[in-house]
Amino acid sequence: MGETIIDVQGLSKHYPPDVKAVDDITFHIDSKQVFSMLGPNGAGKTTTVEILEGLRNPTAGNATIFGVDVTKDYAELRDKVGILPQSFEPFDNLKPTETVQYWAGLYDMKVTTSQVNDLLERVGLTERRSIVARKLSGGEKRKLGIALSLINDPEVLFLDEPTTGLDPKARRDLWHLIEEIQSKGTTVFLTTHYLDEAEKLADDVAIMNKGKIVARGSPHDLIAKYGKMTVIVITGAGNEGLKELKRRGIDATEENGDVLVPVRNPAEMRVIFQKISGIELKVKDMYTRRQSLEDVFLNLVGAKMDDGVLRE
Amino acid sequence: MSRIVADIIGFGRGYIRSKTGAFFAFFFPILLILLFGAIFSASSTKVTLPVQNLDDGQYSQQIMAILNQTGLVKIDMISPHEDIKSYISNESLSLALYIPPGFSYEVAQRLAGNGTGLASLTLYGDPSQSTFGTVNAALSAAVTSLNFDLSGTNPLISYDVTHPGAHQFSFIDFFIPGVVGITVMTNSLFSMTSICASYRSRGFFKLLATTKLKKYEWLVSKFVFYSALLYVSLFVTFGIGKAAFDLEATLTPLSLLLIPAGVFLFVSLGMLVGVIIKDPESGAAISNVIGFPMMFLSGSFWPIDSMPMYMQVIAKAMPLTYFNDGLRDTMVYANSGSSLVNLLIVIVIGLVFFVLASKLMSWKEK
Repeated sequence: MGETIIDVQGLSKHYPPDVKAVDDITFHIDSKQVFSMLGPNGAGKTTTVEILEGLRNPTAGNATIFGVDVTKDYAELRDKVGILPQSFEPFDNLKPTETVQYWAGLYDMKVTTSQVNDLLERVGLTERRSIVARKLSGGEKRKLGIALSLINDPEVLFLDEPTTGLDPKARRDLWHLIEEIQSKGTTVFLTTHYLDEAEKLADDVAIMNKGKIVARGSPHDLIAKYGKMTVIVITGAGNEGLKELKRRGIDATEENGDVLVPVRNPAEMRVIFQKISGIELKVKDMYTRRQSLEDVFLNLVGAKMDDGVLRE
Repeated sequence: MSRIVADIIGFGRGYIRSKTGAFFAFFFPILLILLFGAIFSASSTKVTLPVQNLDDGQYSQQIMAILNQTGLVKIDMISPHEDIKSYISNESLSLALYIPPGFSYEVAQRLAGNGTGLASLTLYGDPSQSTFGTVNAALSAAVTSLNFDLSGTNPLISYDVTHPGAHQFSFIDFFIPGVVGITVMTNSLFSMTSICASYRSRGFFKLLATTKLKKYEWLVSKFVFYSALLYVSLFVTFGIGKAAFDLEATLTPLSLLLIPAGVFLFVSLGMLVGVIIKDPESGAAISNVIGFPMMFLSGSFWPIDSMPMYMQVIAKAMPLTYFNDGLRDTMVYANSGSSLVNLLIVIVIGLVFFVLASKLMSWKEK
């Protein structure tokens, strides 16, 4: 474990008359990790991250980055923090090279053409560096946003839903970029409602729902703790198959005509397979499925996946 | 300072590449000059005519009575204690009628067959101005009518036309300050309203808030940028005016001070509208609602005193009126005192808008 970089204590953000966007949350983030805050739309992720970015004031509680109170002394943190806000849009009529130069100026930095080109190469925009931003694709605009967030070589990088609305290739490109950023020792605070993104990138996950953190841990730990672990899927077994398994004392559920048999302990796997193979069932196929964060969500939040995005 | 420069360069590049910005900064004023310069070379409208009557006889009263009866002019009396030339200069008047002492006595003498020549009035005004034709027609009719009543065919009374200033100005001299006023207003007000609304809706304010740039630095940058842009526009407008219309109006130090003051006023008003409204479309609509009446009622295209009285009252409530008047006072009438007063009014109104806008503008979310 590295040193604690971000420390949040009893943080709340309420709106009149009685909306609790963030409701008394406490957590800390260690250095050089990718910390992912997961949750459905409206869970309070962006409100939390914007308080940490100095863009909103909390109703109650404390939040510090490198020991600096984010509500009071954010100017001290601007050199150490990089931010990609949610739904980032670049300035339409500036080229990526000009945008990076402009942004550097806003950080009191003088950058050479070669430094600008290096940064754009790092985010994969070399070929598009001289195109005005309005002509860039969604993924390229987001890459430009990440380039801007890296302009001050930050120690902490906030990425608020960086891949929302992007096509699968653009998402994977950005994942590689985030992995590369983390490999250089930058602490990344990633909010997302893509479960696969968190599972792929995060060392540490906090699941947020209705303003509260409902679970915290590594993706593996969360799956182990809140998921049902491995499931044997018997496709096409249907309701008759489910009744037959239950009559033999095997715990199972039906889902879309398939029968699912949870395996809580890997040692039980062989025994369960033996029991199933001795039963006459209408079977199209049979396979095991490892549980994912999606299942954790179903258990904890009651949220369902819709095209990879969590919705309540 | 370096952040301000960086913001000016970054913002400026985007602005210049926006077709709307270039249109309002350069092509719109040129279009106005060419169009209105051609249209308003000599038009006549009902106008207010300041009159100084130093005569105490009946014929001067008859002249004024006939002038009133024409329905073309509204007479405003100038105190007999004023020096007419100084008064015209101090009040930046473009028209005035002077009736000299002993005018009625002179008319009576001519009527009795004594003396030579004609009893004369003086009309101060520029024949090339839009309001001059109306007054000239009314005065000509009044003089002809009185001559006919008094003597039949032999004229007893005449009038001279004298230019009120040192230069002989043309309509374009009157028009150019109005064009400059409109250009300053449209660029500053319309652009800032749109910028504030779109920056907020597209998250640019939030984005800027993540940098070291401070809100006041952003505001200073906009003020400096628009001032510089409109200085360039002013010089281009003047260049075109000189080249195409033999412009006599001059760029004075006060006119150069009025430019940033006007930018300050309308940038602040634009910010105020931009922070109050909810989306860019509403911003454009509201800035049009505010800007277009100002454009046409603030004396940019024609003298305010040629408009109906109720519209003159409305014009006095419009900030652009003071900006236009200030420019015209110094550039055309060389009336520094009046221009300075208008400059101060522009700054004070600008300060009110600026304070309100600054208080309401927040880069942070609530």
